[in-house]
Amino acid sequence: MSEAPGPHGEAWRPSATREALRQRAELVERTRRFFADRGVLEVDTPVLQGGANLDSGVLPFRLELPGGPRFLPTSPEHPLKRLLAAGSGDVWTLAPAFRSQELGRLHSPEFRMLEWYRLGWDDTRLLDEVVALFASLTGAPAQLEVLSWREAFRRHAGIDPHSVDDQTLARVIGDDAAIVAGDRRAALDLVQVARVEPHLGIGRWTALVDYPAEASAQARLRTGEDGLQVAARFEVYRDGIELANGYHELTDAAELASRLEAELRSRSGGELHDQRFAEAMRAGLPDCAGVAVGFDRLVMLALRLPSVALTRAFAWERQ
Amino acid sequence: MPAINIGEVSKGTKLIFDNAPWLVLEVNYVKPGKGNAFYKMRVQNLLTRYTLEKTLRGGEKVEGADVTDTEMQYMYFDGSGYVFMDKTSFEQLTIPAKAVGDDKDFLLENMDVWVTLWNSEPISLRLPNTVTMEVDYTEPAVKGDTQSRVMKPAKLKGTGATVPVPIFVAIGDKITVNTQTREYSGRVLK
Repeated sequence: MSEAPGPHGEAWRPSATREALRQRAELVERTRRFFADRGVLEVDTPVLQGGANLDSGVLPFRLELPGGPRFLPTSPEHPLKRLLAAGSGDVWTLAPAFRSQELGRLHSPEFRMLEWYRLGWDDTRLLDEVVALFASLTGAPAQLEVLSWREAFRRHAGIDPHSVDDQTLARVIGDDAAIVAGDRRAALDLVQVARVEPHLGIGRWTALVDYPAEASAQARLRTGEDGLQVAARFEVYRDGIELANGYHELTDAAELASRLEAELRSRSGGELHDQRFAEAMRAGLPDCAGVAVGFDRLVMLALRLPSVALTRAFAWERQ
Repeated sequence: MPAINIGEVSKGTKLIFDNAPWLVLEVNYVKPGKGNAFYKMRVQNLLTRYTLEKTLRGGEKVEGADVTDTEMQYMYFDGSGYVFMDKTSFEQLTIPAKAVGDDKDFLLENMDVWVTLWNSEPISLRLPNTVTMEVDYTEPAVKGDTQSRVMKPAKLKGTGATVPVPIFVAIGDKITVNTQTREYSGRVLK
């Protein structure tokens, strides 16, 4: 009963107009030139991975193949980091990525991820490059607001996420508090999507930085301004929409292995560790910063379209 | 009904919450980059027509509602309920006056309507958006004045309902009425 988004017509027809496809191709071309000018190597990455990406809240598709299960990448992070560990130098890719159960105006189970890594850089330096690329692709000036995760909650939801008590948190959430009762991380996530994110990136680019240590994913930790341990991680928003997630990458293989092990234990979807990725991390990831960008969202923003479906030749409902 | 994964819920899905059937009008999937997923939905209670915002967490299961829409023809009022005939199976079904509500004002014999069934029990009906009704009684028409916005009440033949009509409308005229807004929308030229 759900209506396929896109121009009206039979479901075999494309979701995007020809003009949208032409402009998308131009954005891909400009992205390619951006990295070529900066000496970053374009690479292709495999789509059938031996092991699963293990990012909190991100579910991979598992495929049963002769010879054992394979996993569709939720981002091209693993093969890109293996290349870095092998001495590739700076690399980028525009690769298909897959996330089970993510579907909406800003989500599709299949999408394109733009991801790149810069050797010897930290997250701050990479953030500037991200905004430079976004400005050049969308035509919006590279004006950037940098806001700590904590400050964003204080300013837009009126609470300090580190110290707020459960009652106050429930009051801020309102009617929906019951669905996140007893799960503080989920409660803060709900405040973030409902109360904080809509205010980010209005009329400029906003970067959220200094994420709490629990949300460090594969970023290294550092001591933040207020003495708390924070993740060297940023996300970039425009018009309330999250576009990019970047890290000063964690290179400590033992610490990374323990984070991935904890994530795997919390799951029941039949995920397996990506052993070759783990071996590469043990061999040594060089000091680097990396970022992943939802490319369809970037196209949506540049073309002023209302959904990612309209940026793709064939959106999920018409695949 | 089987449990449905929340990820499979889309616009048009019917679900059970608080022992009532709800129609999903809109679903918005939201999640912070690496965190918990939420589904923010706008749902309409199919019994009361009341709409509300509802948020569910990713990974949850929800209960589907056995709700179907069937095209039926209205036959007659039997004193306590409205009798309809299923246009496919020719079976008769009586819908209690409560489920018909104010829609009775525009329900004419032989009219085709959509009836919503929940667990095979009728819960509501959907009239055509506009119906043609005959004016049974109204104050004498002011001839020629087709520009005026002044309205007067008109009683409709068949149901006895009253709707406001422009003053040029006369007894015996056929008019079209929007069943959603209950407003006059035009006169059928003879």
